[in-house]
Amino acid sequence: MDFMSVIEKQGVSRRDFVKFCTGVAVTLGLPVSMGERIAEAASSPKRPPVLWLSAQECTGCTETLLRTNHPTLEKLILELISLDYHETLNAGSGHQAEEARLKSMKENEGKYILVVDGSIPVKDGGIYCKIGGQTVQSILEDMGSKAAAVIAIGSCASWGGVPSADPNPTGATPAHEVLKNKGIKTPVINIPGCPPNPYNFLSTVLYFLTLKKLPELDDQGRPKFAYGRLIHENCERRPHFDAGRFANQFGDEGHRKGYCLYKLGCKGPETHANCPVILFNDIGAGAWPVGTGHPCFGCTEKGVGFTLPLHSPARPKYITPPALFDEVLPGKEGASSGIKSLATGVAGVAIGAAGAAMLTGLGKKDDEKQDKEE
Amino acid sequence: MDINRRDFLKTAVVGGSLVLSSGARPADASMPRELPPEAVGILYDATLCIGCKSCMYNCKQFNSVEGGALYSKGATDPPYEFRTPQEIWDAPKALSSKTLNVIRVHRSGTGENKDSAENGYSFIKQHCLHCIAPTCVSVCPVAALKKDPDNGIVYYEEDRCIGCRYCMLACPFRVPQYEYEKAFPQVRKCQLCRHRIKEGSFSACCEFCPTGASIFGKVADLKVEAQKRLELKPGQEYDYPVQKVDSGEKMRRPVSKYLNHIYGAKEAGGTQYMMLAGVPFDLLGFHKNVDETFLPDLTWAYISKIPAVIVGVLLVGAGTWAITSRNKKADKEE
Amino acid sequence: MNQNDIKMWTPTTTVLLLIMGAGGLVALYRMFFGLGAVTNLNSIWPWGFWIAFDVLGGVAMAAGGFIIAGAVYILNWKKYKPIVRPAVLNAFFGYLLAAIAIFLDIGQSFRIWHPMVMWQVNSIMFIVAIHVVLYTSTLAAESSPMIFEKLKMTGLLNFMNKIMVPVVLFGVLLSTLHQSSLGAVYLIIPSKLSPLWYSSLLPYHFLVSAVLMGLSMVSFETILSTRVFNHKPDMDILSGLAKGSLITVSLYLIMKLWDLVTVAGIGMAFTGSTSSNMYLLEMVIGVILPFILLISRDRRSNMRSIFSVNVLVIAGIVLNRMNVALFGLADYAGKTGVDYFPSWMEFALTAGMVAFAILGFKVSVKYLNLFPEEAH
Repeated sequence: MDFMSVIEKQGVSRRDFVKFCTGVAVTLGLPVSMGERIAEAASSPKRPPVLWLSAQECTGCTETLLRTNHPTLEKLILELISLDYHETLNAGSGHQAEEARLKSMKENEGKYILVVDGSIPVKDGGIYCKIGGQTVQSILEDMGSKAAAVIAIGSCASWGGVPSADPNPTGATPAHEVLKNKGIKTPVINIPGCPPNPYNFLSTVLYFLTLKKLPELDDQGRPKFAYGRLIHENCERRPHFDAGRFANQFGDEGHRKGYCLYKLGCKGPETHANCPVILFNDIGAGAWPVGTGHPCFGCTEKGVGFTLPLHSPARPKYITPPALFDEVLPGKEGASSGIKSLATGVAGVAIGAAGAAMLTGLGKKDDEKQDKEE
Repeated sequence: MDINRRDFLKTAVVGGSLVLSSGARPADASMPRELPPEAVGILYDATLCIGCKSCMYNCKQFNSVEGGALYSKGATDPPYEFRTPQEIWDAPKALSSKTLNVIRVHRSGTGENKDSAENGYSFIKQHCLHCIAPTCVSVCPVAALKKDPDNGIVYYEEDRCIGCRYCMLACPFRVPQYEYEKAFPQVRKCQLCRHRIKEGSFSACCEFCPTGASIFGKVADLKVEAQKRLELKPGQEYDYPVQKVDSGEKMRRPVSKYLNHIYGAKEAGGTQYMMLAGVPFDLLGFHKNVDETFLPDLTWAYISKIPAVIVGVLLVGAGTWAITSRNKKADKEE
Repeated sequence: MNQNDIKMWTPTTTVLLLIMGAGGLVALYRMFFGLGAVTNLNSIWPWGFWIAFDVLGGVAMAAGGFIIAGAVYILNWKKYKPIVRPAVLNAFFGYLLAAIAIFLDIGQSFRIWHPMVMWQVNSIMFIVAIHVVLYTSTLAAESSPMIFEKLKMTGLLNFMNKIMVPVVLFGVLLSTLHQSSLGAVYLIIPSKLSPLWYSSLLPYHFLVSAVLMGLSMVSFETILSTRVFNHKPDMDILSGLAKGSLITVSLYLIMKLWDLVTVAGIGMAFTGSTSSNMYLLEMVIGVILPFILLISRDRRSNMRSIFSVNVLVIAGIVLNRMNVALFGLADYAGKTGVDYFPSWMEFALTAGMVAFAILGFKVSVKYLNLFPEEAH
């Protein structure tokens, strides 16, 4: 059965599917025409194998993927990739599951995508999280070294998340650090968030499938299309911030009126994510933390979420929007052009007058003598 | 033109003493050098500023009402920077006759680190500093700019102003602005929300600052607070007061690295608006040459000599005339 | 050639009248639509071309009045009597122009009388305002005998002649204060004005350079008038003025050099920046060349070289005033990113006022007895 007939069976027209893929392309910041290519790649009969490794996690990342408002499409994505191993979603369990993992790893060595959720405990030899008697650290090292790419989904896998919060009893470490410490060079993409937005994950996977390369990443390994801007920059409450209208307490007049939550500790000004743009759960406007009246707590940003006090004021990362802030002294050293041309003009007139004076005064001594003789 | 020499000398002396008695009275005329005890001011801490421009917005709102520093008779709306019947646009980049208070920024290199001079940026809030000895007050020929003897606010009386704009030239901080676009223009500058203080309130920029970057209070208290902040260690947590220096509302946050300098404590003889920052103030638009001199002294040095010049010129002139005209007569007599 | 031969209606007059008319229109436009519509002034450049050229330059050019009047009436140097009237009239026009420029330049022109009643003695501007009013009146009084003579009002004429000495003394006093106070205006901006010009001695610089300018201006006019009336120049007067110029320019040179060394440092004059170039130009044209030319006794008794010195000094001192008011602020203003170039209307109004002064002087030459000794 080919892919299109499967999805049509599930009530999705080809048109709807291409539309969805176009949406993904837009999320990725790719041209709309890319939608066709994504649809092509997504419906290709050769489904790329994906292995999903769960470490110290809460299953929230899996849940968010499952509970998006397009269950059919979400299911499709799980079917269009060959999800060979996922502890929560596996049909089988125990040795059966482990066997499936090892088999897929052997068959698809260097081709499969490894998705990691949860942080990796490294303290005391990594004993705090084990699967089938093996520490998750060693599993990750093994799987990671043979993968085409690693996608660290969720804050825990991306930068440590909740388990890494002070005092970090298990030595929770993000996936990319575990691999790096082992000298494994497999590229790692971080999709932080607690939970991350499923579309950012899907978009990343489809990008990789379509263009056979990783999307552009920032210095923390996050795809720029999703984490390139501060929450603050696209926040729907930004006009209140700019006009100095702040909620001072939960439930006060400003809070009820939907004013800016900065004073309640919103971390939007120091957190990179596209939450206010793509929102959650496809239920329309306001479906994200700030939209519901709670300050952003900075889950996608290392050193912010689970690190800073929930209600402490944010320290803005940089100046937004930059164009509306003027330099204190925008000019350069020396005179500027207008006054310079005036100076040149005045100097010209003065030199002209002086030159003429010198010529008449000194050039014609004879006239003078005549004058005197008269 | 034979006039009696005695008469002439008499006229000269009477004229001279008339000028002396009515004109320059050096003792009470020189500018104040000390703050009024109840002087109020603002402390701006650039390390706390997040560039939300809430102060700018609210400054304009609350100064456009009657009594405010931006009020024009008959105006119903605040003076927006740009306005047509169809659209309003108000994103001031610098001080203007429509903007008394502006947040500007200094960027260097990659501009990544807040309050750092290298590869960093810093905000700065620019408005009137309310000097202890204001140049604008000292240079105004008609006393349209005055310093309130009680709270030290430098305020403006539009009915006196002739529009010579000497205040704009003289101000070392480039503060006073002029309404060039109007046929009957005024000077506009921050008057520290004097109208609100009269009603028992305080400066709008401080009331609406979400982080306590601008706080209002008595200058003496603000100085103590500023000094306290300079003695904190970077990284240490500190309860920063919000709105007013003595307010109950505090915001706890880690201390940034301060430059060990309270701008305005001594500059231009001291000001009532003081600033803290992590970046040298000459990068934030404050000229290095503004030292601790009471600037009005520079002109007073000249003005205080005028009575002596008057007497001197009249006496010497009259004396010379007396001698030379006697010589002439003597010549004639010979 | 005598007065009656001066033709009033010449092509030059027509051109001057046209320029005046244009200036008048600009002035009217300014009264109705404000400064912003006419000038390019802005927050960093509150004072522009009008203040620099019309007011500072005009007042400096008018300095001849008090010097010659003082020399004749106070020092009783009667040999200069023939040039008192043109000198005083010239000063009167200079001040009138400055007053008109100030009237148009201040934002609320019809409050120009405010300083007279709202005293603020800390303000140099107040001092300046009082002086402009008093000295313009004094100059009017000093020139009034010419009018009374013309109108044959002997009573008033005699009265004026009687009180002339105190009037002149008062004028000398006011001029001393006023010329120096224009320099003192800039004492308050040590952080803005380039150290090439800023100095605590600025008032004295203005006073001494005004004296130099006044002497040259008078000499310049005297030479011009000899051309108009086509008679032999009184070399005694001219070389006397030249000697005065030499003394003044020597003093001025020392003061300028002293300031350069003690305030700015010699290096600052040679940085190649706009301000340092303008400084050098001002020094060469207005101070050094005149000094070199005047030092020789031969040249001091040579009408042509005196004339060139006059032109040099006038150009140099006007340059100095424009430097202090405009170009000395260029470095400070450059950093703020705010630029200034006068609008065409600022130039037009200035041209109109200059035309007015020339025409006014011409009318006075024709109808008033400006050169009493020479008329017969």
